[in-house]
Amino acid sequence: MRPFLSVAPFFVMLSSLIVFAEATTNAVAAAPSSGLSDTVTKIAGDFGVTVPAVLAQVVNFSIVAAILWFVAFKPVMASIQERQEKIQAGLKYAEDMKAQLAAAQQESAGVIKTAHAEATRLIEESRRTAKEVVEKSQKEAVDRANDLIQKAQQAIELEHRKMLAETRTEIARLVVATTERVLSKHLSETDRAAYNEAAARELTSA
Amino acid sequence: MSVKKNVQQAARQLYKLSFVDGRLTQEQVAGVLAYVEKTKPADSLALLKAYQRLIAAEVARNQAVVEHAGSVSPETLQSVASSLSKTYQRPITATARPNPALLAGLRVRVGDDVYENSLASQLSQLGSNV
Repeated sequence: MRPFLSVAPFFVMLSSLIVFAEATTNAVAAAPSSGLSDTVTKIAGDFGVTVPAVLAQVVNFSIVAAILWFVAFKPVMASIQERQEKIQAGLKYAEDMKAQLAAAQQESAGVIKTAHAEATRLIEESRRTAKEVVEKSQKEAVDRANDLIQKAQQAIELEHRKMLAETRTEIARLVVATTERVLSKHLSETDRAAYNEAAARELTSA
Repeated sequence: MSVKKNVQQAARQLYKLSFVDGRLTQEQVAGVLAYVEKTKPADSLALLKAYQRLIAAEVARNQAVVEHAGSVSPETLQSVASSLSKTYQRPITATARPNPALLAGLRVRVGDDVYENSLASQLSQLGSNV
């Protein structure tokens, strides 16, 4: 289709020249029969339009057209066709790239969606783990605090009992020492002798 | 046999010679000492020390030391001695020794045994029971 279109102007121009030359020839041939023909013939003669000249012009034109066709028009058309093919290939490549881009976008969207879901899952898991760790730490802290409080209470209780015992012992020691001092001052010889007699009786009776 | 064992054995023999009818007498002890002084056996000093320990233990076994605060009558001492002689089934003599730390009452020591009934012991017991 494309080569026919490329050659078509040449044939159109050639057919027009042939028709014009035939018309001139026919006019010359029909000249004796009418005045108009004479006029045409005269004009054609004045301008030098004859069948041989027209044929020579046709031949010349054909040769020039062939030379132009093979030397200039055909390489240009080949270059144009090559460029068209390149453009077609580029367009096809662009279409492919577009399709690949769409596929890549779709794939990336899927990957992003998967990554988003994974990230959401990880965040939820991290939150749950953090919550568990915090709860565990709080429970341990509370247990430790309760343990410390219990130990402190036990230590306080022991210290209290120890202090009470020491106080009781000290008071008893002071009472005994004071009593001994008082008795040593206020016991008369008679009292001591009587106590000695009673102690002797108790020892001998035992 | 070591020298120490020989000395101990000799001291026990001299100790047995100091008794007459199961009782330690002053005359027998004086005789034993005169014998040792006369014969001068080997290690006489160690022998006399061992003999002294045995005699002191025997004297302590037969002697009641009655510590007291305040006065104690001879009758009281005698009653204590007779009671202890009856308890130990041997003649025991009582010796008085003043001890004001007792405040009032008696502490009787026979050998390793101690009997006490004094204000100081009762107060100490009260203090330890509180």
